[in-house]
Amino acid sequence: MSEVAAVSGRPAWRIRPDEGTRAPAVRIDARRALQLALAGLWLLDGVLQYQPAMFTPAFSRMLAASAAGNPAVIARPIIWDATLVGHHLALLNTIFATIQLLLGLGIAFRPTVRLALAASVAWSVAVWWFGEGLGGVLAGGASPLDGGPGAVIIYALIAVLLWPADRPGGPAPFVAARAVGARAARVLWLVFWLSQAYFALTPENRAPQAARDMITGMESGEPHWLAAMTRGAASLVAGQGLATSIVLTVALVLIAVGVYLPARAARTTLLLAIVLTVVIWVFAQALGGILASGATDPESGPLLALLALAYWPARPGPARPAAATGRAAQLPAADGPADGPAAEGTASR
Amino acid sequence: MTPAWILDILAALMLVVAAVSAARLAAARPWRRDAVVVDTDVAHLLMAIAMAGMLASSLGTLPDTAWEVVFGLLAAWFAGRVLADARRSGVRALAGGHCAPHLVHSGSMLYVFLAGSSPEALTGGMGDRPGSASMALSHPTLALVFALVLVGYAIWDLDQLSGRRYATGAQVSLAGVGAVGGVGATYQAGGDHASRTADGHAAASRDGGTARAGGPRPGGGGFLLSPAVTVGCRITMGITMAFMLLIAL
Repeated sequence: MSEVAAVSGRPAWRIRPDEGTRAPAVRIDARRALQLALAGLWLLDGVLQYQPAMFTPAFSRMLAASAAGNPAVIARPIIWDATLVGHHLALLNTIFATIQLLLGLGIAFRPTVRLALAASVAWSVAVWWFGEGLGGVLAGGASPLDGGPGAVIIYALIAVLLWPADRPGGPAPFVAARAVGARAARVLWLVFWLSQAYFALTPENRAPQAARDMITGMESGEPHWLAAMTRGAASLVAGQGLATSIVLTVALVLIAVGVYLPARAARTTLLLAIVLTVVIWVFAQALGGILASGATDPESGPLLALLALAYWPARPGPARPAAATGRAAQLPAADGPADGPAAEGTASR
Repeated sequence: MTPAWILDILAALMLVVAAVSAARLAAARPWRRDAVVVDTDVAHLLMAIAMAGMLASSLGTLPDTAWEVVFGLLAAWFAGRVLADARRSGVRALAGGHCAPHLVHSGSMLYVFLAGSSPEALTGGMGDRPGSASMALSHPTLALVFALVLVGYAIWDLDQLSGRRYATGAQVSLAGVGAVGGVGATYQAGGDHASRTADGHAAASRDGGTARAGGPRPGGGGFLLSPAVTVGCRITMGITMAFMLLIAL
């Protein structure tokens, strides 16, 4: 395709780059960047929910299976929901997919970010119960290698931590502290990672072949290169259930207490959290099974990495000039008063 | 199977995008000697027609080989533009430039037609014609990578659109068509970036590119010709393309 076309020696119409879309980017701060990552994950979930496998009875069977081992008060609504979905599969699955799609778009669209984040919390809790059986927490099947205590509840946690509001006082030490405060954010982190450490040590997860069996179960339907990686990981932990659990628990406890350490040490433990979640996501969760089709979400790996980034200690930023504050006030509010170009330095990681 | 009516709705959406792009191109008056048409509108028109054909087989137009040539050329065009942008502004061209998303869109389309018509996909597919949204694609890892990048660009575009990066009334795209006054996005990005004021005038100096708008265009059509509509079309097609890639995994 040439930029200048000539017909019969005469200059004809030209094709040229679109200058109108060359407008400079509206800069975003660290919290908005994390919100956009969350939006992307919701959008991905929504699209995955439209996959052909979700419109088959296998989807309602998958929902019903999450009731197993749960107390009756938890299990009965799950069975009812699975039956309802089985009867109106196409309609309800389309609604589910569309809701998740809208959550992603709503978080990315600045005027609706609060509404979408609030709705995402409600939706996550509902899916955690009706779709994941509370992540196996009460059934005893939760495992950090398998996304326990449920990937979807992490969406709710992140939505709360990235809520576009700022507590009064000085600058927050990390993004997750901006909305709920540093103390509450640290407690949430501690409880979440310690609960993972606890699940890693349950008898089901420290059985000699527990880790190997779980990883082997992810291999089916995966592309050759990913299946080979999971096979390698499975053979590495074969018969080493207890050792795997102990190593995992030590790492998870270190991560849990890391946010209480000085900034440099905290960064190291957060880096450990990111590396650990990526390793688990690739080798144990096979990228959430997306490439095998039939996955409703990319599992916990990307969410845990996102969560860790929300706790990354902020560097002290330059003082905000008064003129810049004025400019920021003219932007559509997506992220509270600190959003916009002027906020870049104050919340940068 | 994903219900056919969902695919039909998306095909209809693609036809709307095609109609909007065609209207924008018509506004450029390509029959005039000195007319200038914009690459994004050409790309959107072709891509929307091809995607509508993939989603609803009754809307199929050209043979797959022809589409492969079309999207090969588009990919080469936008690759050249990205390289030119990258020489001017480094990696920023990938994140903030307008050519990189279109390069990904064109690359995705090329991939779908090539991977959909490969022997591997045909034997492992669901019996549909190559390029159909309901068939399997070879090299699914590539499909996932394309889908993730498309989702990322769609989210970024939506944030920037709602952050008023793109004017909703100031026509700065189609040279040869008079600039159109608009609602005027009110923001000013700092540093070496552009300024945009409430009276609808815009000036961008980053990357050496310029974009100016001012004064109403006789005949109206400001919103249709605005950059926001281009970006809206891009978001719609990006999400639809990601949908097609992921349901074919």
